[in-house]
Amino acid sequence: MGDQPLVTLKGITKSFGAVQSLRGVDLTLAPGEVLGLVGDNGAGKSTLMKVLAGAVQHDAGQITIDGREVRFASPADARRERIGIVYQDLALCDTLDVASNLFLGREPRKGPFIDRRAMHEKAAETLSDLHVRVKSTYQEIGHLSGGQRQAVAIARAVSFKPRVLILDEPTAALAVAEVRQVLAMIKDVAAQGVGVILITHRLQDLFEVCDRITVMYEGRSVEDEPVSDLDIERLVAMITRSGSEHTEEVA
Amino acid sequence: MSVQAPPAPTVLAKTPSRWERANKATLAMLGVTVALFVGFGIGADNFLSFDNMSNLATQVAITLIVAVAMTFVITTGQIDLSVGSTVAFVAVGTAEMLKAGWDSSIVIVAALAAGLFWGAVNGWLAAYQKIPPFIVTLATMSVIRGLAQLWTKGFSVPIDRRLYVAKIGEAKFLGFSALAWIALATVVIGGILLARTRFGNYVNGIGSQEESVRRAGVNTARIKMITLMLAGLAAGVAGLLTAARLGSGSANSGQGFELTVIAAVVLGGTDLFGGRGTMIGSIIGAVITGVIANGLTLLGVSPFLTPIVTGMVLLAAIWLNLRGRTLSELGAKLLGRT
Repeated sequence: MGDQPLVTLKGITKSFGAVQSLRGVDLTLAPGEVLGLVGDNGAGKSTLMKVLAGAVQHDAGQITIDGREVRFASPADARRERIGIVYQDLALCDTLDVASNLFLGREPRKGPFIDRRAMHEKAAETLSDLHVRVKSTYQEIGHLSGGQRQAVAIARAVSFKPRVLILDEPTAALAVAEVRQVLAMIKDVAAQGVGVILITHRLQDLFEVCDRITVMYEGRSVEDEPVSDLDIERLVAMITRSGSEHTEEVA
Repeated sequence: MSVQAPPAPTVLAKTPSRWERANKATLAMLGVTVALFVGFGIGADNFLSFDNMSNLATQVAITLIVAVAMTFVITTGQIDLSVGSTVAFVAVGTAEMLKAGWDSSIVIVAALAAGLFWGAVNGWLAAYQKIPPFIVTLATMSVIRGLAQLWTKGFSVPIDRRLYVAKIGEAKFLGFSALAWIALATVVIGGILLARTRFGNYVNGIGSQEESVRRAGVNTARIKMITLMLAGLAAGVAGLLTAARLGSGSANSGQGFELTVIAAVVLGGTDLFGGRGTMIGSIIGAVITGVIANGLTLLGVSPFLTPIVTGMVLLAAIWLNLRGRTLSELGAKLLGRT
């Protein structure tokens, strides 16, 4: 694990009209670390991750990457910092084919034109490497199963060779064997020094791959503990804020 | 990710067959086109003559030029109702500028710039101010034609036949009019832009799920604005050619033109909900609308029958295009309530 944090978020706030969905979130991520981000529905996990991926612009607070303060005006800015994300809704285009989705926003070109042959060949290679089961890269995304779509979205995020990989419910639509594969992939990229943030409702997965867990509650980060200090009952209590010891801690 | 001896690749980059790739709605309309040609060919002796085919190409040309641009607009899930008014505005402007003694080359540039300007107004309001394009262009449709009428006080402005611009309307190469050749060039450029470039990919992607394209780091507002600017530019070309062909500029030209163009695009199989555009389809659609008008005239039926048939064709096209979705879903989409 690195000494200097890869990503530091400090006091991030975000309002949508009258709704304040982030009320001050702190979070750190070290290189090669797998951080579990948990919290009840509506706690602000997905919004926070969209801020880190540049898809949503925060109102106040600081984002620091490698000690440099950054501000993302668009998803392209975050991509330049090599932050990869798998969105909960996958962010795919149903009427485009698999390869176009995989290379959306960075299609290989030959002169002014998309080099479709190269794009499809590279796509087939990437997907085969990640053991994604899709018949052809020419298939329309809308015709794939939920699991296949999720696998393509994960492959896209990984193929950017990100330094920070954000996975927002990456296993929701996957079969058991595919979940194992994603978890193995997470350990794999973390071992290569990538910082991974994992949001999931499958708490057993957190215990399997995470080093540390940050808990969010109503738009705030309320707990941050190494996974070795936790068991599943304590984690559930932290998420639901039911245990009396925790309510005291935050108050 | 794991570095092990790769087994046989599980994913293939195999090109599917032509049949699998083809837009089935477009294929159906190709069949309709053939049927129309056969039907009119039997019904009217001179329908299939070279002269009439050349004539048909000229009649289709102006619709087709705008239909190419409209294909991009509709594929992004937008609509442009103002193209007919822009045609009138530019036709009037062309005639007025020539009357004022401007040189033809400057008039051509100014006419195209005027079309582009109105497209930019539509694009900025729709893409950046987030007003549904249906509303924006419904309003500008009224504003732009109103300006043309105010300018000419309702009179038709004649163009001197000896001027270069007027000659474009009569020029012929290899038996086909300059209009037909310009339309052909527009279709080729549009087809390449839609099928071969990143821009074309994003146009399809935006029509499918705009937010996904935006999150992939693409400036989707800019792409949407460009498509509406293309429609304005194409309408500018159409206005210039209309004035050149008729030898005058009238604020009443291009009435209902937007419906003909939209009918052509939708008829060709471009999805009204966006995400699926076909340039070949738009050619077929434009030819169908042109053939109906041309054939009915040759059959000697009342000219007033043409708008009735065209309207019914538009209705049939939209009905086929809905593909199982309802008209109210379409309304919600066009008004930006989705």
